[in-house]
Amino acid sequence: MSIRLKSVPSILALLALLLSVPPALAADNSIPRTADGRPDFNGIWQAMGTAHYNLEPHAAGFPPAPELGAFGAIPAGLGVVVGGEIPYRPQARAQQQANQADWLARDPVVKCYLPGVPRANYMPFPFQIVQSPETLVMAYEFASAMRIVYMNQAEFKAPVPSWMGHSLGSWEGDTLVIEVTEQMPDSWFDHAGNFHSESLRVVERYTHLSADVLQYEARIEDPEVFTEAWTLRMPLYRRLDQNMQLLEFKCVEFTEELIYGHLSKGAEHQPGTGSNTTPDTGTQP
Amino acid sequence: MLTHSRQTKKTGLFGLLLTLGLVTAAHAQNPDWVLPRTIDGHPDFQGVWANNSITPLQRPEVFADRQQLSAEEFARLQTKAQEIAETDGDALFGDGFLGAVLAGEITSYDPSTGNYDQSWMVQRELENRTSLIVDPANGRLPAFTQEAQQRMAQRPASRRDRPDSYLDLPLQERCITYGMPYILAGYNSYYQIVQSKHTVAIVQEMIHDVRIIPLQDKPPIADSIRLWHGDSRGWWEGDTLVVETRNFSPKSEFLGAGANRLFTERYTRVAEDVLRYEFTLEDASTWTSPWTAVINYTRSEDPIFEYACHEGNYALEGILSGARAQDRAEGL
Repeated sequence: MSIRLKSVPSILALLALLLSVPPALAADNSIPRTADGRPDFNGIWQAMGTAHYNLEPHAAGFPPAPELGAFGAIPAGLGVVVGGEIPYRPQARAQQQANQADWLARDPVVKCYLPGVPRANYMPFPFQIVQSPETLVMAYEFASAMRIVYMNQAEFKAPVPSWMGHSLGSWEGDTLVIEVTEQMPDSWFDHAGNFHSESLRVVERYTHLSADVLQYEARIEDPEVFTEAWTLRMPLYRRLDQNMQLLEFKCVEFTEELIYGHLSKGAEHQPGTGSNTTPDTGTQP
Repeated sequence: MLTHSRQTKKTGLFGLLLTLGLVTAAHAQNPDWVLPRTIDGHPDFQGVWANNSITPLQRPEVFADRQQLSAEEFARLQTKAQEIAETDGDALFGDGFLGAVLAGEITSYDPSTGNYDQSWMVQRELENRTSLIVDPANGRLPAFTQEAQQRMAQRPASRRDRPDSYLDLPLQERCITYGMPYILAGYNSYYQIVQSKHTVAIVQEMIHDVRIIPLQDKPPIADSIRLWHGDSRGWWEGDTLVVETRNFSPKSEFLGAGANRLFTERYTRVAEDVLRYEFTLEDASTWTSPWTAVINYTRSEDPIFEYACHEGNYALEGILSGARAQDRAEGL
């Protein structure tokens, strides 16, 4: 391509144009970009690996109920915590271990509760980002969970605490940074009982490693539970399946017997056992 | 930039009076208004939209064939509406508000608990329209087919007053879905639209659902995949977003229609603060003809809140344990 520059004014005009281009455009062009020059995170993403079982390094383990067999057994994982272990306060570590020992009964996602952040991003389900300059939506297949990311509105405080938190986004070069605050204290980080309090503050960083792979980092701050801030890190992969789209995983109906079954007419099992046996309610279609 | 009046109303701390807004042709008559566009050149519908219209889906019979009221009648209606709004009675959702205006009295939404008082109410929009349905011209749903009538006759009777199990309760009380489309006005009836080049996301505040509308050519999903909210495909026709949705689950009922319905929506921004929402339902196994309705969504400055329905569904446990307590009291 050749451009003839016929006069000094046109050179100046070109210079001015170049200088007005956002730095993002001048930088890395190997990643997809939106019409306003920002890195383009639109698409359907999913984590691989076993972080949803346990963020920390772990060997394979038994299923939570023997009838699940190999299907329910827990696969091993190298861990995604930078530095290996989560820096718990001693009492909090004991709490995590108690959670883990009884996770089927205690883990909120077993009951189809909203997973919170960062857990939603590495559940074994896809999620979709729809990106505009002012707002991003993250739509998760699991439990129809979702969050709205408000870009460049640092002054917008969370109206109320919520399960998925309050997400404020900003750009650091080509990295999307999201600060997540005001999460309910009830959510966990994984099936292993890793947990937090209502003081949780999460700072997420999304950076393209290539067009189809993101580096995902979440810095976790919660002085009530941890001795210091820590970071988890893992790639998120674009789902390249032909005609990929989100489907529904509205899991509420899959958990009703677990949660409410003991209140059905003629139910024999007792509340709080988490029993999944089907009582004879006489109302099954 | 954001105000949070909805939050204070929901907490009910201030005993706020309901206020009435007017959606009139005036909204659409600013000659200087130019349809805003996204960075990709599409019509920009982004932001939060509210469905708080008091216009009922079907035209009340008192209005006969009239699509609008005279200016005088409309003014009288406004006065009455304001009186209703200022009473201290139950909250009125959906079509209940106009019903109260016409009847001159409030019928409780929930006489069993009475827990929906005025603090639950949001600003309702008064429009000079007698029904949301614009086709058929009588503003009423078309007749059910014989097949649909038989289907409904075979339905088991409602057991809501003493449910044997959670299965006897409606889907919304189980926090599964409020249906597709969700058209109840004045009750978490907020929608946020976010647009990218190839996708439109419609966030529904009601049970935190996001509808993802792909705009690119995409083959339909397998007929065997049936969804509560159906499977959507969208495209632009001029400045109107058209969305076609099918593959509904048979359990996903809307006014008597189920798996066979074809649901078509047309979104058009007609003013800075009005998004015209037209939808058509077609289901030859349910209605004798297709029908179309129009809702004028109004702009909301408030953000979408998280409606974590299932996580806090203590009412369902309460209802069921109450029913079992009644059983025990009667020796059942």
